[in-house]
Amino acid sequence: MLPHAVSFSILKTGDAKYFTTTKKGEVFELKAELNSDKKERRRDAVKKVIAAMTVGKDVSALFPDVLNCMQTDNLELKKLVYLYLMNYAKSQPDLAIMAINTFVKDSGDANPLIRALAIRTMGCIRVDKISEYLCDPLRNCLKDNDPYVKKTAAVCVAKLYDINPQLVEDQGFLDELKELLSDSNQMVVANAVAALSEITDSSPSGTPLVWMDSTAINKLLIALNECAEWGQIFILDSVANYTPQHELEAQSICERIIPRLAHANAAVKLSTVKVLMKYMEIITDAEFVNMLTRKLTPPLVTLLASEPELQYVALRNINLIVQKRPEILKREVKAFFVNYNDPIYIKLEKLDIMIRLTSKENIGQVLSELKEYGSEVDVDFVRKSVRAIGRCAIKVEEFSERCVTTLLELIQTKVNYVVQEAVVVIKDVFRKYPNKYEGIIGILCECLDTLDEPEARASMIWIIGEYAERIDNAGDLLEGFLHGFADENIQVQLQLLTAIVKLFLKRPSESQELVQQVLSLATQTDNPDLRDRGFIYWRLLSADPAAAKEVVLSEKPLILDEMDLLEPSLLDELLCHISSLASVYHKPPSAFMDEVSGQRKALPIGFQFSEETSSLDAQSIDSSEECPVVEVEDLLGVDMAPTGFEYGPIGQSATSGESSVDLLSSSLDELGLGNPFLCALSAIPAPYSSPKALWLPAAKGKGLEIYGTFVRKNQEIYMEMTLTNQSTDALSDFAIQFNKNSFGVIPALPLQVPSPLPPNGSCEVSLLLSTTGSIQKTNPLNNLQVAIKNSVGVLYFTCLIPMHVFFTGDGQMDRRVFLSTWKELPAQHEVQYTLENMALNPDIVVQKMKQNNVFTIARQHVEDHDVLYQSIKLTNNLWILVEIRIPLGESFPTVSWLIFFVGALSMNRILS
Amino acid sequence: MGGLFSYLKSLIGGREMRILMLGLDNAGKTTILYRLQVGEVVTTIPTIGFNVEQVTYKNLTFQVWDLGGQTSIRPYWRCYYANTDAIIYVVDSADRDRLPTSKQELVSMLNEDELKNSILVVLANKQDMEGALTVTEIHQALGLDQIKNRTFQIFKTSALKGEGLDPAMQFLSDALTKRK
Repeated sequence: MLPHAVSFSILKTGDAKYFTTTKKGEVFELKAELNSDKKERRRDAVKKVIAAMTVGKDVSALFPDVLNCMQTDNLELKKLVYLYLMNYAKSQPDLAIMAINTFVKDSGDANPLIRALAIRTMGCIRVDKISEYLCDPLRNCLKDNDPYVKKTAAVCVAKLYDINPQLVEDQGFLDELKELLSDSNQMVVANAVAALSEITDSSPSGTPLVWMDSTAINKLLIALNECAEWGQIFILDSVANYTPQHELEAQSICERIIPRLAHANAAVKLSTVKVLMKYMEIITDAEFVNMLTRKLTPPLVTLLASEPELQYVALRNINLIVQKRPEILKREVKAFFVNYNDPIYIKLEKLDIMIRLTSKENIGQVLSELKEYGSEVDVDFVRKSVRAIGRCAIKVEEFSERCVTTLLELIQTKVNYVVQEAVVVIKDVFRKYPNKYEGIIGILCECLDTLDEPEARASMIWIIGEYAERIDNAGDLLEGFLHGFADENIQVQLQLLTAIVKLFLKRPSESQELVQQVLSLATQTDNPDLRDRGFIYWRLLSADPAAAKEVVLSEKPLILDEMDLLEPSLLDELLCHISSLASVYHKPPSAFMDEVSGQRKALPIGFQFSEETSSLDAQSIDSSEECPVVEVEDLLGVDMAPTGFEYGPIGQSATSGESSVDLLSSSLDELGLGNPFLCALSAIPAPYSSPKALWLPAAKGKGLEIYGTFVRKNQEIYMEMTLTNQSTDALSDFAIQFNKNSFGVIPALPLQVPSPLPPNGSCEVSLLLSTTGSIQKTNPLNNLQVAIKNSVGVLYFTCLIPMHVFFTGDGQMDRRVFLSTWKELPAQHEVQYTLENMALNPDIVVQKMKQNNVFTIARQHVEDHDVLYQSIKLTNNLWILVEIRIPLGESFPTVSWLIFFVGALSMNRILS
Repeated sequence: MGGLFSYLKSLIGGREMRILMLGLDNAGKTTILYRLQVGEVVTTIPTIGFNVEQVTYKNLTFQVWDLGGQTSIRPYWRCYYANTDAIIYVVDSADRDRLPTSKQELVSMLNEDELKNSILVVLANKQDMEGALTVTEIHQALGLDQIKNRTFQIFKTSALKGEGLDPAMQFLSDALTKRK
């Protein structure tokens, strides 16, 4: 008999009971103990349950039994039960409802410890069904007499917001939190601030839910001095997020927080630095900024005396600060000199900062220090040090000589990796100072054989090619490299190809053979880059050697030393995150956190600038005079971010022409530029206006419903809205505000709504707009974000402004100018657009277009087409030229089509 | 003195009686519980969950469990049935509309195995309200005639005025002592 058949027969003999639960076992015993009528046994049982839970056993089956032990006057037992609830409420969401009454009772207990315990536990139970019952106890605890209860409740609001944001907003907890900011107890204030900033960070809309005003900030600053250190950090972070209303306020806040720079806690220090760095952007008083700069130096330097891990965080932050304001640490470069026992990550970071701080004043010290590093043991560090010397040479022209000498000394050491690194940086030095140090080429050539790394070899080959005319044996040297061509790294192959072509162009007679060899080698490889470059040279050389000379030996732009600087907008964003992971990674939070929502931070813009924003348009046009080719998108305000203070020629990138096409085509297709044409062609005699659209449904507008549209009347833009009150309360105190937008649209007059607006009442509003506001690119371009305030609150919505309202009445272009401009415009500015299924009569088109500020310049009859040339001017001085082709023969009404040729140019070009 | 007495009694082995107080929401269970415990009317909010209190009546200690009566909570009553000595079922005498519901809950509860041996006390509460049904009417409406093999009694009470609770407790303590 088979073994398992045996066992089967044994089981068959009536041991079925082993398959049913015997109800014996640990859980069963615990259950009995939990239901015991002896308090002590119950308490011990709960302890056993918690112990089991801690080691990872599943004791969720005991949920109702543990829950029944909840109502007790024994604090120890209560805490244990609460601990259990926090852990298992999620697995028993339905049963968890049985705990609510006890929570409610406990939150009203005479003992503040129990009140706080209850409210904290309730906040930790992340069960949706429970959260609604949490509100009443939470509200009571927010108004509690005991500060400990209050601060626990404040934190609980943030927890609740995480589970159910809507509930928190509806219940008005945010306002209550804000009230806690003025509490007399600093612990309450600090926790309220922490909760508020947590809520703001996680708010789905990204807009701060609670606006800090100057009074609120003032209260925080009062609490700051008495707070515990971690509370201070929360307060400082909130202050950093606040933008002062005027410069004096910024100055006074700075003065009040400066003492925090002397705090022992590094995080407090850095948070203070963050606030000051941000506010320095706003403050225009140079003396005050100088004072702040002086004050910022010592705390940053003392941070370097802490343990390596802290030092690293400090250094990463300092790296940002130095890029923004080098003057803070420019005299302290010594503080960043490397200690022999620093960990490597500290050394590299210090080195980086050292180079950023190098200037005429301190380069002597830095250079001798760097030379020392050249003899350190750590290869990576030595390499970086050698590179640093090169960067010094590029950065400080007066000392380039000394730097090069130092590099040469290092080459003499013959240490392999030092030599290689030196060759790489010397190439950069040559790029920066052409025709200055060629004397050292001879020395470089001596160490040719030691170079085995691709980058070093490539650099050396570049040098040989670039100075082929001065190196007698350049041909031989390059030929030497060519022998192993196939085995070289792609970087080296590319350099070699270019270098030999250069050599050929300079000394054609000697190197004809060589160039043919390299061209055939290059064009036979698999690497597309190399192959294509080979073919290009080949064709250039065979077609037009003179042109080849011009291309290959063209003058190279000088290199700058600030190559590894962070992009300014990123730098500004990171400065707002000083003392956080973002500033250590040098990446914005959105790059490494999944759930980051909300606005990306940016440094504030100085006041002197915001006053001048209205003159921004004028400025950008001035700059367009200096540079004849200003691309279309500049004029449309695409890059006209408020930070674009120094407005230079932008139209250098090769792609900008294409992007302007995208822009115009989108303006036709998506932005509804075609609409006025369509409508002009229909039977409506008056200027076109699009029908009112639903902008804000009542459900989103807290009872207020808004339909609206934009129209152009009497050469002005109007926003026409129908406001309907669908709530049960009368609405009053209306006000409106627009976010910055592409066309600078702002309300010219305050919003006039008959107030109060009764329930079910409705009214028509026509709001005059002007286009003199600040400009910021929106996506799509005609997007407008609107905020309407009324007695219920602030409502936000977005709408699209139809393009045609921006067509101005003075859009009639001079015929001559039109003609010359049309010819001049590059083809990529053209966009074609076909309207189908439309019968057209040219006369009516002309007339109706004129009503919509589209002016006909000329009309032509070509073969079987009528062609109309028209011009449009937008409020931001952008011109659009249009060509409409209308096929003849109205007897074919179904097959009509027309094409727009759209071009654009700046006002200045027409006038000049 | 009483504390010492009950202590001695617990030493002898007198077990705390476990009593469940059930009924539809807004019947007055929580008010009755605190009337029994502290002798006063306390303001209550709907019980989402349960209350448990020690109630002493004539040297007998009861552990009274007052469970919430909301529809959402009724399914969890069964978690509390084990080891129950007596059930106090509270009815809002003025809430005529929901008497059938109340009856239904009572019947399904009494059918539970775990409550087979429990004593039942029905309190026709809110007798102070105008239009309240009489004890007899409640008796009939709940179909109490059908109850067999169970010690049970119905009382008219008003928790607000404190009327009728004494006789009910007297009956309960007598019945429980007798059974031991």
